[in-house]
Amino acid sequence: MTTSINSRNSSGINFSEIWQKYGTVIVPPIVAVIIFCVIWQIFSSDSFPGPVKVLQESFTERDGVRLIDPFFIKGNNRGLFWQVFASLQRVAIGYSLAAIVGITLGIITGASPIMHRAMDPLFQFLRTVPPLAWVPISLAALRQNEPAALFVIFITAVWPILINTSVGVQQIPQDYNNVAKVLRLSRPKYFFKILLPAALPYIFTGLRISVGLSWLAIIAAEIVMSGVTGIGFFIWDSYQNNYIAEIILALIYIGAIGLILDRLVAYIGRLIVPDEQR
Amino acid sequence: MSNITENFVSIEQISKVFNLANGQDYIALKGIDLQIRKGEFVSLIGHSGCGKSTLLNMISGLDGPTDGMVLLDGQKISRPGPDRMVVFQNYSLLPWLTVRENIALGVDEVMSNLSKGERQAIVEENIQMVGLAHAANKPPGQLSGGMKQRVAIARALALRPKVLLLDEPFGALDALTRGNLQEQLMRICEESHVTAIMVTHDVDEAVLLSDRIVMLTNGPASKIGGILEVDIPRPRKRMAVVNHPSYYSLRSEIIYFLNQQKRVKKLNARKKTAVAKHGLEKVNLEIGFVPLTACAPLAVAREKGFFTKHGLDEVSLVRETSWRGIVDGMAGGYLDAAQMPSGMPVWMTLGGNDNRPLPVVSALTMTRNGNAITLDRRFYEQGIHTLADFKRMLQDSPSQQHRLAMVHPSSMHNMLLRYWLATGGIDPDHDVLLKTIPPAQMVVDLQAGSIDGFCVGEPWNLRAAMEKVGFTIATDLEIWPGHPGKVLGVREDWAIAYPNTHIALTKALLEACQYCADPANAEEVGQIVAGRDYVSTQPEYIQIGAPSAIACDLEEPMREYAHHLFYGEGVNRPSRTEHLWQMVQMARWGEIPFPRNWVEILERVCRVSVFSTAARELGLSEITYSRGAIQLFDGSTFNTEDPLGYLNSLAIKRDFTVADVIIDTPRIA
Repeated sequence: MTTSINSRNSSGINFSEIWQKYGTVIVPPIVAVIIFCVIWQIFSSDSFPGPVKVLQESFTERDGVRLIDPFFIKGNNRGLFWQVFASLQRVAIGYSLAAIVGITLGIITGASPIMHRAMDPLFQFLRTVPPLAWVPISLAALRQNEPAALFVIFITAVWPILINTSVGVQQIPQDYNNVAKVLRLSRPKYFFKILLPAALPYIFTGLRISVGLSWLAIIAAEIVMSGVTGIGFFIWDSYQNNYIAEIILALIYIGAIGLILDRLVAYIGRLIVPDEQR
Repeated sequence: MSNITENFVSIEQISKVFNLANGQDYIALKGIDLQIRKGEFVSLIGHSGCGKSTLLNMISGLDGPTDGMVLLDGQKISRPGPDRMVVFQNYSLLPWLTVRENIALGVDEVMSNLSKGERQAIVEENIQMVGLAHAANKPPGQLSGGMKQRVAIARALALRPKVLLLDEPFGALDALTRGNLQEQLMRICEESHVTAIMVTHDVDEAVLLSDRIVMLTNGPASKIGGILEVDIPRPRKRMAVVNHPSYYSLRSEIIYFLNQQKRVKKLNARKKTAVAKHGLEKVNLEIGFVPLTACAPLAVAREKGFFTKHGLDEVSLVRETSWRGIVDGMAGGYLDAAQMPSGMPVWMTLGGNDNRPLPVVSALTMTRNGNAITLDRRFYEQGIHTLADFKRMLQDSPSQQHRLAMVHPSSMHNMLLRYWLATGGIDPDHDVLLKTIPPAQMVVDLQAGSIDGFCVGEPWNLRAAMEKVGFTIATDLEIWPGHPGKVLGVREDWAIAYPNTHIALTKALLEACQYCADPANAEEVGQIVAGRDYVSTQPEYIQIGAPSAIACDLEEPMREYAHHLFYGEGVNRPSRTEHLWQMVQMARWGEIPFPRNWVEILERVCRVSVFSTAARELGLSEITYSRGAIQLFDGSTFNTEDPLGYLNSLAIKRDFTVADVIIDTPRIA
């Protein structure tokens, strides 16, 4: 205590206080990342570049562009930002569709026991089909890469949303339903004042799981569907040309975007769902 | 019109059966009948799982009865509605709405005929009423438990419901908050004249808030076990109600009921079949007693091994706090035998207990004497030393009600106290108020001032005198020396089923009585009785042997202390004369009808043959001589040939009834 007061008096910025506050939070992950990179470097070889080589190659000019610049456009060759952006656009469309359909169906099956009994086995069956397995059937049915990719995202993302929403509606505390019954709330009022807010935490859990899944699905779909701009195809293309460092850089982008998407949905959920329900 | 006011909420023959997962049925409630007046506050109390919340749900309409119906204002209740607002234990506020929005949700929906401004005014008024104006815009998550419950109450009352239903509203709150909310709720209910039904498990809460307390028995098939009227005037204050004379008797009544429910459950689980051994039909006995000096023979028989000596290896003594516990234990068949006030066998046989005659027999008088009448010490200081003084004091203060206590209608204390008062020209029902209080509570009540005196067995008179809260105005020696105190009672059907056990029990207790009566054992017996399993008091309060002057060590008048008689010539043999005198006295005060077939009843109650067999087998036949005529302090004689004539000759009495009391002939097993 006394030392911190002294150091504050002696200098404008209080390092010991900052260290006390953040040191234990920030330092361990940084150390872990460094150790990870060291191990990576040790195990690297010609066919599997280490972190140093990846950085070097990213800054090396090839075909007149440097890969480290995410925004370059040179003919069909585009920077990683544009690749990611193209993928994200597909995710946005497919995921939004999944959210609309999933929440709607989820509410219907959650609110009606008969609908639940009818649909649940089907949903449980379909949701176990892995995203990649949908690619051939969607390509065959839709004949074009773009809609097929959207369909794969949709079909992957819809199940967690649907099932969580359904559970959320079923799990509305009896107390809230009793309040609605005693007040004889009208149906629209019940829906907006009780059902929807009560199921929100579950819906957001579903949305959060699904955003990760749809990001997963787009990579898989794009690898298979050649010739479209997108981070998935970018990886596949790099592999074909044996640019391993490019693949690793792309993986870092994919990981970062996946993390950001997950945190973004969680953040929106925190904004909307009141404290008491979490 | 008055019918609607009287039966504002009418619960008619409600039953509720739940279908269990395993295909069986669980009967939660059976035959519930309850009428609730407009503006009344009624509490439902009972143990967990007794169906009190289920009953509330059927009034609210959230749950339907399997049988019967609930009427509100003459309308059958079939579904929930805002005229029966519920305040739930866990508040059930919607966490995504603010306090104001929570209240407005109901107001907007139910009072849609009002203008927006009017509805807002109602919401604000109710927020004000529960004192939450500062928190109106906060979500419930930011409120304390007490504040949340206030919001829930405001939400309910904002709709001006006909009935307010409260399901353990304060159960989850800390004591301080609960107390404050109880007072607020009372104030609100009184201001808005709302009819309220509350489920609770808190006895004090029920007494404080209610006009009537409905006690439910334990499930399955719970029913109403009793209804108490709370006669404490309103407005009530939490700190002040405890001083009302009724408070503690209501409280102890409910606690007794709840304990009894718990014990019945336990005893039902334990109820075993008879274990026959040593040529006896049943050696596993549950014997009830009430902690008093007079329980000495039972305590000694157990501690000194007299039960075991006579083959009763598995006797357990069941301590009851009140005589009512003994009555319920005998009626319910949980007790095999019990120490009873001497009038109880006749009283139970003649239907003193809820007009349900239950033949009970007695083969042994275990103690005599040991009772006295104690008055508050302030009377002594006012110079009231005799019955005549007491009468004069009562005449001088007619506006004041004086409360005297005894332990049970069928106990000698009741009869002695009434006889003593009546002889002094005091009508025990009009000039004073007689209350029934468990023995161990007497001194505390006297100290608290909720009673002015009592008639009870030792050690409580002695203790009141030694603690200087009371003084002995009359001992039993001055009223009826050698009167019967406690007897051994068993049910007649029990006596017929287990005749040899009955004799063995009588022998064991008779020998214990003999042991207690030996002055050489006095100190040891005193130690045993004072022990934790029995009276649980300091040994100096237990007077077994030589008469002590302590109890009567007031300057004037000196009295001879009425120590117990446990054994001796004519002490233990059951006496028809005495039972007849008690029969007459209980009929005199309207406790029981006087049976025209009194000779037959006496023959059935007094099991002299069992006593004689026991005494003969113990080689104690010299004590079987019966006692002489009854000598009472007023010099009157009791004519056993003409009890009715004697009854008619008494000046102060109630309108007694004379009836043929037909009791089923017992099945000979």
